[in-house]
Amino acid sequence: MNVLSCSINTLNGLYDLSGVEVGQHFYWKIGGFQVHGQVLITSWVVIAILLGSATLAVRNPQTIPTGGQNFFEYVLEFIRDVSKTQIGEEYGPWVPFIGTMFLFIFVSNWSGALLPWKIIQLPHGELAAPTNDINTTVALALLTSVAYFYAGLTKKGLGYFGKYIQPTPILLPINILEDFTKPLSLSFRLFGNILADELVVVVLVSLVPSVVPIPVMFLGLFTSGIQALIFATLAAAYIGESMEGHH
Amino acid sequence: MANTIMSSSKTLITSPPTPNPKSPPPQPTTLPIIPITKPQFRLSTKSIAAVAAAVVSATPLPSLAEEFEKAQLFDFDLTLPIIAAEFLFLMFALDKLYYSPLGNFMDKRDAEIKEKLSSVKDTSSEVKQLEEQAAAVMRAARAEIAAALGKMKKETAAEVDAKLAEGRKKVEAELQEALANLEKQKADTIKSLDSQIAALSQEIVNKVLPVN
Repeated sequence: MNVLSCSINTLNGLYDLSGVEVGQHFYWKIGGFQVHGQVLITSWVVIAILLGSATLAVRNPQTIPTGGQNFFEYVLEFIRDVSKTQIGEEYGPWVPFIGTMFLFIFVSNWSGALLPWKIIQLPHGELAAPTNDINTTVALALLTSVAYFYAGLTKKGLGYFGKYIQPTPILLPINILEDFTKPLSLSFRLFGNILADELVVVVLVSLVPSVVPIPVMFLGLFTSGIQALIFATLAAAYIGESMEGHH
Repeated sequence: MANTIMSSSKTLITSPPTPNPKSPPPQPTTLPIIPITKPQFRLSTKSIAAVAAAVVSATPLPSLAEEFEKAQLFDFDLTLPIIAAEFLFLMFALDKLYYSPLGNFMDKRDAEIKEKLSSVKDTSSEVKQLEEQAAAVMRAARAEIAAALGKMKKETAAEVDAKLAEGRKKVEAELQEALANLEKQKADTIKSLDSQIAALSQEIVNKVLPVN
C-alpha cells in the first residue's frame, strides 16, 4: 500500500509537469466585470508582434524589396488575392479587415504552438493562444457578422434585406437562420480546432514525452494556418455574398 | 474526459441541481476518501481518480459541475468586447502602418514600371526615326563624296590631258627640227655630191677619151 501510494505520488509529479488546465481562467476584475487576463495578455503580445514587425519592415520601403519588406509585400499580395477572389473588384476597402482577421488569427494560433507561454506561471489558469478562448473567437465571428451586414447595407441600402426572400419567400426562415449559424460555425470551428490541437499535444506529451508528439505539433502548426485562412476566406466570402447583386 | 469537460462548462448545463438528498454537498471536504485539494481541473491521475470515484459514487452531474465551478470553457464575459475593440484597434493601426503605405507604394511602383515599359515602346519609334536620320546623313555624305571624287577625277584628267598635249607638242617640235636638220644635211650632201659627180665625170671622160 505504501509502495503503491509512493509510486502514484511520483506519477503525479510527472503528470503535473504536463498537466493541462481546461477552462481555467486568470480572472481580472474591471468595474465589476470579469475578464480573462491570460487571453488579454497573449492578445497584447500578438498585437505587439504584428505592429512591431510591420513597422520595422515597412518603415522605409525600397523600390527593390529585400528581406522583411519582401515578406510583407508577399503577405499583402496574398491578402489582396484572397479578398479579390472572394469579394470581387470592390475588394479595396475590405483588405484591412480581411488582412487583420487573417494575421491576428494566424499569429495567435502560431504563438500558442511556438511561443513557450507555459514558462510564465500564472496564479490561476495558463497562458495559451488567444484563439484558445471562446470569447476571442466569438468576438471575431460577431465582427464578421457586423462587417457583412455593413457591407450589404452600404452597397444596396435597405434593398439588402430583399435577399432574405430570395429565391422564394419560403426560404425566409432558413435565410434568417443563416445569419445565426454563420458566426456560430465560424467561432466554434476556430475555437474547437485550436483547443483540440493544444489538448492533443498536451495529452500526447504527458503520455510520451519525447519524439512522438513532434508530428502532431507540426500537424498543429498546419491546422493553425489553415484555420486562419479558412476564417479569413469565409469572412471575405460572406462580405462578397452580401455585396453581390441578386438578380 | 468528454463528460468532465462538458460538465465543466456551466453555461451548457441548464438543468438545476437535482434536490437529491444522497448527493454530497459541493464542498470537497465531504469526500473524505478523495482529497481534492484544489478545485482545478487537471489531467492528473489524482483528478482522474477523483472524477472516476465521483462518477462511481452516483453523484449527479450538476453537483459535479458545481464542484468544478471555476472550470468554465464557455465563459463569456467582458473579454469578448475587449477583444473586439482590440481587433478594431489592430485593424486601424495595421491599416495606417502596413496595408495603406505598403499597398500605395506597391501600386505606385507598378504604375511606374508600366509607364517605363510604355515609354520604352515609345523610344523604339524614336530609335527608328534616328536610324532614318542616320541613313539620310550617310546618303548625303556618300553623294558628297561621289561628287568630290568625280570632280577630282575630271580635274586630274584635264591636267593629264594638258600635260599630254604639251608633251606631244614638244615632241612634234623636236621632230620637226630633226626633220629640218635632216633635210638640210640631205641637201648639203646632195650639193657636195653634185660637185663631186661633175669632177668624177670629167675625170672619167678624160680617162676614156684620150685626147691627143
